[in-house]
Amino acid sequence: MKLFSLIENEVIKMISKKRLMFVFAILVVLISVFAYGQNHTTERTKAQLTQRMGIAATDDWRKLADQQLIDMKNRLDNPYRDEKDKSSLRVRIEQLQYNLDNNINPLEQSAAKFTTRFMEQSIFLFLPLLVIMLAADMVSGESSSGTIKLLLVRNVPRWKILLSKYLTLMILEVIILFFAFVLSVLISGFFFGFGGWLAPVATGFKVIAGKLDTSTVLNVPQWHYTLMVYSLAYFVAIVIGSISFMISILVKSTAASIGIIMSTLVAGNFISYFLSDWKITRYMFMVNLRLTDYLSGSFQPIEGMTMLFSISVLLGWTIASILVSFLYFTNQDILV
Amino acid sequence: MQQTPVLELSNLRKTIKGKAIVKGVNLTLYPSQIFGFLGPNGAGKTTTIRMIVGLIKPTEGSVKICGYSVTKDFVKALSNVGCIIESPDMYKYLTGMENLLQFAAMNKTISRQRVKDVVEMVGLQHRVNDKVSTYSLGMRQRLGIAQAILARPKLLILDEPTNGLDPAGITEFRTLIRKLAYEEGMTVFVSSHLLLEIQQMCDIVSIIKQGSVIKTAQVQEILKHNDKIEWQLNAPDKAISLLREHWKIEAIQLKKNTISADIGQHPLDKLNEFFIREGLALTYCSAKQNTLEDLFLDLTEGDEIV
Repeated sequence: MKLFSLIENEVIKMISKKRLMFVFAILVVLISVFAYGQNHTTERTKAQLTQRMGIAATDDWRKLADQQLIDMKNRLDNPYRDEKDKSSLRVRIEQLQYNLDNNINPLEQSAAKFTTRFMEQSIFLFLPLLVIMLAADMVSGESSSGTIKLLLVRNVPRWKILLSKYLTLMILEVIILFFAFVLSVLISGFFFGFGGWLAPVATGFKVIAGKLDTSTVLNVPQWHYTLMVYSLAYFVAIVIGSISFMISILVKSTAASIGIIMSTLVAGNFISYFLSDWKITRYMFMVNLRLTDYLSGSFQPIEGMTMLFSISVLLGWTIASILVSFLYFTNQDILV
Repeated sequence: MQQTPVLELSNLRKTIKGKAIVKGVNLTLYPSQIFGFLGPNGAGKTTTIRMIVGLIKPTEGSVKICGYSVTKDFVKALSNVGCIIESPDMYKYLTGMENLLQFAAMNKTISRQRVKDVVEMVGLQHRVNDKVSTYSLGMRQRLGIAQAILARPKLLILDEPTNGLDPAGITEFRTLIRKLAYEEGMTVFVSSHLLLEIQQMCDIVSIIKQGSVIKTAQVQEILKHNDKIEWQLNAPDKAISLLREHWKIEAIQLKKNTISADIGQHPLDKLNEFFIREGLALTYCSAKQNTLEDLFLDLTEGDEIV
């Protein structure tokens, strides 16, 4: 089938451009730094807590966790903390309590935990950045080099050319996540050992009116949880990929489209901190990217957002981006 | 014999941002013709070509390639076209061969052997495995032609094709174009500002100015009918008035002792005899064959190039 040849062409181009190598290199560096840092922090937290408890090196995590719990409760009693901060703290206390009750050690590190945590931390900025690096160039790169003309004067309809590019992008997103996963496991395994895939993880937390609802919480094996995190990450990659793809078609310059989408993402972070009272901001795609927080029960920046809400918003953006991309691309006059 | 035209433009118009770029171009080309599209910069040549290959949509009018409308039957129409638009842009990070294989993959009728044959046709066999970023403009131009003829198109459109080619390359290119047109039956559409090039290569020429075609004709015909004669004689004023009175020929004075006139069907020997009989001292007479360049300048004269 012709579409397959077109996708093959796109993949050859992408590999020859060495962009994927670049993504790979960035991942190696970042994961190494992150894993080293994680190792360092874990050691320090342990040391700090044992020091405060006055017990020399202990492996009894329950004692440490109890101490942490007391610590957080004290902070909660501080009358000068603002209400938003307190409710977030309350959520964490309840979660830790749940861990204690169910004998889940929150401090223990493993390759499995790290791999998951890395993606949870990457999902709203770092992963989008990698996707943007590939997506923003797919159409605008051809526009600025003039090669788009060569593609569009073949006996292939325009929508098919664009579809092949979009599907290639979806494949590349899988490759990025695959790189991230494999590199995380390998590098963090070096620090923490390769195990931990069967350890239970609590998920299914719900935040209702600022309180953690643990009625639906259940334990799943770590690998299951990791799979959920990476699936959500793939969804986010598709969303960001589609939006960048559209911008790259509209703007026709790679530098400009990377600039636009990156500043939008960074602005999204500001918005979730400073404008969380402003209801309309929750319809922006940037503040809905932390999907994995719904799994772990972390507090949400804007009240009233749920997993379903965020996914719907992101899906809406994706469909709109694809529609705009195809409509604009198939009808535009190519003047480069 | 009624052949289907390879290319048929009827009343083709394009307005971009309220500005009419192409104002009603009509053109019909048949198989094995080499057509020259001449015009100053900004006359609308490239815009017309972009409409032919469907890169931009006509505001009005239609383009038919081998009977298929480009707007309604894009895939069928474009199956018959190979082209270079403006400059031979290629993927610089791929080799010449990888570039050609990209395009070959988009059309299943192109075999690997065909790719090799085409590389030899354009004389690129020694450098085809190097990255395009190391190519000179002339080599990119050859690669551009190679990708355009890969699928044996019925219509080959070349926008400024000899740009960057050295003299030997231009001669080779001309031979190649003739071979493609007369042996393989391709219709070749060449746009160029190199008038001599068009004159040496093309059968038919259209001259476009400010979006309108102001003349379309056989190159031979244009050159034949515009023979200008120059005389060097001692009394140019007298000669001009004599020509007007006796032969109804309008002559103009070029230099101090030189006059020039378009004599049409009048025999030159009789005119010379006449001058001598009238007592004029005729020292030199030349029949200057009009070139496309003269015609081009005549037709486009006095216009600012926008």
